[in-house]
Amino acid sequence: MEPVFLTKLMSHNNDWLSVRQATIAENIANSNTPGFRSRDVEPFTSVISKTQLAMAATNSGHLGTVMEVAEPTDVKKGESWLVTHSGNSVSVEQELMKAGEVARNHALNTSISKSFHRMYLASLK
Amino acid sequence: MSDPLSAAMHISSSGLRAQSERLRVVSENLANARSTGKAAGDDPYSRKTITFESEFDRAHQASMVKVKGIGTDKSPYTVEYEPGHPAADEDGYVKMPNVNVLMELADMRETNRSYEANLKVMTQAREMVMRDIALLRD
Repeated sequence: MEPVFLTKLMSHNNDWLSVRQATIAENIANSNTPGFRSRDVEPFTSVISKTQLAMAATNSGHLGTVMEVAEPTDVKKGESWLVTHSGNSVSVEQELMKAGEVARNHALNTSISKSFHRMYLASLK
Repeated sequence: MSDPLSAAMHISSSGLRAQSERLRVVSENLANARSTGKAAGDDPYSRKTITFESEFDRAHQASMVKVKGIGTDKSPYTVEYEPGHPAADEDGYVKMPNVNVLMELADMRETNRSYEANLKVMTQAREMVMRDIALLRD
């Protein structure tokens, strides 16, 4: 059991953000591929609500609940900003906005964990 | 799934490669916009087209982009009246390539934009990695 759950939450959120960044990269790389449907990962809140407290296990081989890693899913038709004639539903602007969001949240997470780290270090001095 | 951030950089690099191939095709078309045939009535240069497809990469568990193929545009050639030209037919008309310079320039702009977007995502993924590394530094 971790005394401060926050750091775990932050690393989990960073995992989620990196999956989202990979998905955005996939979308942008395929922004000129005919028929490619834009994809996005499920929101972090729905990922976190699916996870419960991990049960204690006497052996690492026993079944337990692990934090799920987000999986990319197809974006619904109405949510995409642009669908071209070739059936491609990637809007570069939309993807770049998402990428900006990811970068911002990641910067926030790392700076929070940095300040926590400073607090830990201050208690040791 | 392998490290998503390195996967992101690999995907972006596949996008950069695809877009630079596209730019190559555009420059080929532009350079040959006035290339006619050699003998009388010969077909001139025909415009090249490029198509992309997404390909699932097992190592990174993500869809990369790759060039599906480079084809030729089947649209009809334009003709110009130029009797002195070596490729002119008996009526004095020369077949000119079906390259529309404006269209190629628009394509070039789009290529540029896509390339920039890929580059942006790549820089951002790299910055994220660097920030993570900076956590270890102090």
